[in-house]
Amino acid sequence: MIPAEKKRADANPTKAFFVRMITRDITLEDCIFDLVDNSIDGAWELAGGHPLSLDDKTDLSAYKISIRIEEDCFEISDNCGGITLDDAVDYAFTFGRKDEAETENFSIGVYGIGMKRAVFKLGSQIDIRSTYEADGSPSSFRVPINVEDWLASGDDNWDFDIEEAEDLEQKGVQITVTDLTEAAKRSFESPRFIRNLRRSIARDYALHLHRGLVIEVQGEPISGWTIELRQGGEFSPMRAQFEEDIEDEKVFVEVLAGMAAPPPDDSEPSDDFDEGQNTSGWYVVCNGRIVLAADKTTLTGWGTEGWPQWHPQYTGFLGIIIFYSRRADLLPLTTTKRSVDETSAIYRQFRPKMREASREWISYTNTRKQIREEAAEREDAAKSVPIFEVTIRQDVELPKIAPKTKIPQANILYTVPRARAKSLASAFGNINMSYKDVGLRSFEYAFEDLVGDD
Amino acid sequence: MASFDSVNYSIRPSKSVQRAIVFQGLRRIFEVMDLGNAIYVGFGSIWFTDFVQAHKLLDIDDMVSIEANEIGFRRATFNKTYRTISVMEGRASVRLPDILELEGYSARPWVVWLDYDSALDEEVVDDMQWVLSNAPPNSIVLFTVSATQNAYGKKPIQRPKRIRALLGDVVQDDLSKDDCMKETLPKTLADLMMDFLKSEVADTARPGGFIEAFKLPYLDSVAMVTLGGILPAKGAAAAARALVADEGWTGIVGETIEAPPMTLREITTLQAELPAVANLTRERIQELGFDLHERQVRSFQKYYKYLPSFAEIIA
Repeated sequence: MIPAEKKRADANPTKAFFVRMITRDITLEDCIFDLVDNSIDGAWELAGGHPLSLDDKTDLSAYKISIRIEEDCFEISDNCGGITLDDAVDYAFTFGRKDEAETENFSIGVYGIGMKRAVFKLGSQIDIRSTYEADGSPSSFRVPINVEDWLASGDDNWDFDIEEAEDLEQKGVQITVTDLTEAAKRSFESPRFIRNLRRSIARDYALHLHRGLVIEVQGEPISGWTIELRQGGEFSPMRAQFEEDIEDEKVFVEVLAGMAAPPPDDSEPSDDFDEGQNTSGWYVVCNGRIVLAADKTTLTGWGTEGWPQWHPQYTGFLGIIIFYSRRADLLPLTTTKRSVDETSAIYRQFRPKMREASREWISYTNTRKQIREEAAEREDAAKSVPIFEVTIRQDVELPKIAPKTKIPQANILYTVPRARAKSLASAFGNINMSYKDVGLRSFEYAFEDLVGDD
Repeated sequence: MASFDSVNYSIRPSKSVQRAIVFQGLRRIFEVMDLGNAIYVGFGSIWFTDFVQAHKLLDIDDMVSIEANEIGFRRATFNKTYRTISVMEGRASVRLPDILELEGYSARPWVVWLDYDSALDEEVVDDMQWVLSNAPPNSIVLFTVSATQNAYGKKPIQRPKRIRALLGDVVQDDLSKDDCMKETLPKTLADLMMDFLKSEVADTARPGGFIEAFKLPYLDSVAMVTLGGILPAKGAAAAARALVADEGWTGIVGETIEAPPMTLREITTLQAELPAVANLTRERIQELGFDLHERQVRSFQKYYKYLPSFAEIIA
């Protein structure tokens, strides 16, 4: 018989789990992106919170996110409106999203874990300040967190103190982290880390940067990637739009695919850094944020369900699938926003569309081998067009190349003493005749004598 | 051609200045870090100039010189200046791991100076990576390569790609051909190689990290760059960091060291004007009866204390 006091198993979480465990499943770069996402959500809401389609013309040029990285300090600040005191009290610092939390329109943040996980991954002295508009005038607060003290205070009280603070220069949020973790310190000492961070921001926030948002690292603004597909001549990229209803909410999907660059003439792997190879593949976008870039793995179908594995021959292909919805939780996002949730029904539903587009390209690159020069000329006729300007079309159009009928060939290889080959060459009238030609002439000679006309 | 067949490199004045700055810096590092039982590893060639300084100024006894050239190896063995120098034949990539295997050598700090005559290439990058991840705690590492522009591509437009192929992601996406011209390449290369060294150490998570200590572009007839830093044990990092952060640290220079080849008479005449508070000018040199380029005058004033005096002895 189980005693009454032992009829419940303790399933309460511990603070240490959140500080030490959930921070292991995410990279430092993705943590920083979680903070950027929060800023962007603020900016998007302020700018009207429209559906995030490619056609949307929302101007984000008034908003700026600044990241400063030093060997012993990390700081991110924005002018994206700030967190209100009420939101700070009720939602922003809660571990996980509360069911009653209001859904932000077309936000990227969804799980209610990003900011906490990010700052814990970065360091143990954290200062979060916010200046927001309250009744027409700026109001401010700060939440200082000393992680060690917070852990030491036990698992019964999870709250953070909110304190009075001076106003920031603009309405927004400023997060400063010092006493960095060993991992953060090491990465921040690496110029390569900072260069790659800039590259990833340029890529993953390309759609926001295109709308004028300013993101700067170390005081230098980042230019976003221009994502382009080639259009013209016999080439037309696919750009198809769909609408699905999930839980009485609309999820919009847009699929674009086609040639971003001509395929390579030589598909052998090369040691050279190959930019085309690097940017080719599938991109998945959720509420404006690129969560998967240049993917060539099973995640976007390569090597699954009768779909070949990625091969350098396919370089030049670029596909983008864009999901957007007022409710971010309906999108195939993972918590790290660095991949797609493969089990998501909406994602699985659109995989066949992605496959069809990939297949067209695979087949084109196979047949183009037969008419390389001609194909290159046709490819020249197609000009790069930013994805925003691609015309609507249900499928990819690529040049139709009829496969040539192949006559089966035989290779003949034999070895004879060099002196005899030379004698035969001389008998054919040219002592300098190549061995290959000697072989061919002998074959023709024998063929004519013994077989006659074809 | 091996360097000993082309020039007696002990008489390249900028090289001498650079070497003197390095050893002055090393000496100061030795004062703040516990490097009493350090080993010196380098390319002594047949002259052993740096080995002599390592022994005299840093009090290092155990030294290893790597020599790839077969004749060079025989000549180096013949010419080695001290009993405690071992000359090892082969490429650095092959011999460095062998040195680490020598008894006790993996537990002692190394002062390792891979002073290549050639340009940065894949082999040098591999050697740098090996040293950064394998040198024992408290080691000091230095790398010298040629920054001659043509070694990175005959056409300027080819150079950014070549440098990117060698140093990878630390190279900014907008590196332009203008950054890779004769005048600009030494600085570009020095900056990027330094970023590479820091990134490599950060990525391999060495406990004490990497402290930038030497960045010395110099020009005799060809442009060269020397980069170096400290790989401190965790406990020694603070002292080493404070030393190189000090204003008086001379190991990092902005302008290329270009010490002009000068006669003894010219040197003596100019030295008699120094030290001076004001800058020496070309006009003043002309008044003294000879002439030099402005940049050479600047270099002389800055580095005259490090300049060697050469005289030919007719035996």
